[in-house]
Amino acid sequence: MVNDPTLNLLVGKASDILDNTLEKNVREPIRFLVNWGRLYSLWPVHLETACCSIEFGAASGPRHDVERFGMLEAFGSLRQCDVLVVQGTVTRKMAPRMKWVYEQMPEPKWVIAMGACAISGGLYMDSYNVLQGVDKIVPVDVYIPGCPPRPETLIQGIIELQNKIRKSKV
Amino acid sequence: MQNAAMNIEDKGGDQLVLHVGPQHPGSGHFRIIVTVDGDYIVGAKPDPGYVHRGAEKMAEYRDYIQNIPHLERPVIIDATGVTLPYVLTAEKIIDVEAPDRAQYIRMIMAELNRIISHLYWLGIYGIFLGHSTMFMWPMGDRELFIDLAESIGGTRVTFSYVVPGGVRNDMPTNFKERALKTFDYFEKRIEEYKKIFFNNPLMSARTEGIGTMDKKDAIRLGITGSNLRACGIDSDTRKDETYCLYDRVDFEIPTRKEGDSYARCIVRLEELQQSMNIMKQVFDLIEPGPIKQVIGGVMRGEPGEAFVRTEAARGTMFYHIVSDGEKNPYRVKISVPSFRNLIGMTHLLVGSRLADMPAIYWSLDYWPVEADR
Repeated sequence: MVNDPTLNLLVGKASDILDNTLEKNVREPIRFLVNWGRLYSLWPVHLETACCSIEFGAASGPRHDVERFGMLEAFGSLRQCDVLVVQGTVTRKMAPRMKWVYEQMPEPKWVIAMGACAISGGLYMDSYNVLQGVDKIVPVDVYIPGCPPRPETLIQGIIELQNKIRKSKV
Repeated sequence: MQNAAMNIEDKGGDQLVLHVGPQHPGSGHFRIIVTVDGDYIVGAKPDPGYVHRGAEKMAEYRDYIQNIPHLERPVIIDATGVTLPYVLTAEKIIDVEAPDRAQYIRMIMAELNRIISHLYWLGIYGIFLGHSTMFMWPMGDRELFIDLAESIGGTRVTFSYVVPGGVRNDMPTNFKERALKTFDYFEKRIEEYKKIFFNNPLMSARTEGIGTMDKKDAIRLGITGSNLRACGIDSDTRKDETYCLYDRVDFEIPTRKEGDSYARCIVRLEELQQSMNIMKQVFDLIEPGPIKQVIGGVMRGEPGEAFVRTEAARGTMFYHIVSDGEKNPYRVKISVPSFRNLIGMTHLLVGSRLADMPAIYWSLDYWPVEADR
């Protein structure tokens, strides 16, 4: 009976239908809800690594105001944060600290590499004390170019990160 | 990794060692190791160097023009303040002199940058004292001055505008009107700042008499800039060793006698007004003319050395360039005001309460990136 090809086909079809129904009516709404919850309540870690931090500060200011896009100002404990914005150059001395901060953050977590130095060393490509790109030690989700990036560029990077979160699996 | 894991250390007795930074809402890219006995700080050991990028060594691989962008990165908040002394030193080596109009535009940019830098400092100081309005107001008004600087320099913060021989481009024709409009608005705002922040009893309770620096100590420790002027010493490099054309404008040096955190704040606030006064005078003095002395070919310095001291937003910025006649400088030594104020910070923290640490730390306007170079 098990070897009956017609029945096998039937069982296969039924499981497909069941799976599709589950996907459409249960998993997708849950995924949407969870992602939607994460999307607009991003908490950045306050880890300034170099000079891009002033444009990060300006982005929190009244003219640019990242908060209206669902990213808070950088205050509070890293135990409740989920975004690590690497604000510029990471030196040899800062690199282990940054990795340590990243490891302490709870899941899910995302990393934004802000500025040319964080992406690839940038202006400091031949400096003896600069890490050539932070993606060597932490996984990076969004790269924001610029030296330093304008606050508008930072906001665009945050929106890109939100698009990524929206599509992510739970 | 090993030392990063060590954050609190028991010294025995009532003493405890606390590491503040580099991941701390107040510290920035900097760590200070304080020993506390109860609520009082008995020892403070700064641990700078988190942003040491080797700017001095890198300057030896690049020629005089290529050096400008990376030498302004240590203080992008005060980009002209840090590149102007470099360019003035390089001009001595290369033996060129900028025309008068270029000198005036340099002064405008330097003063605009001083305002931008002081307003950033004021915003962060508001946050340090738990005053969110004082973060929002200066950060909002700072954008107006950034707009002015952007219309001359082309970018928001990193202009690379001052070059050996002059400035990169002329300023826009309607700049004077726009600037005067902004100054009119901002002069009214300064009064509002005083109302909400500087005359606020909460602010004065947290800063008056906190972190008092003696006049003798300030000289002994080599404190510079507004921190020195807050101790009652009217030292300003713009007047003491005139550069550009600062001798043609008339301005006051704001000083205070108290030497505490409040005095340092109020001195910076008055410097905003003085910077605007300087720019207003420059608008009357400036005349049409060339903005650049064109240098043909690659710039080569004469063998020898030169040094220039200028007044940046945080204090005296000093450059020493040694040249061996090649297109690259042989050695560039930068002496930055933040590093010298760091010594003063250690002196001030010992004996104060732990809760006063943010008020003292940021009242010195210590910018770690500048100190580390």
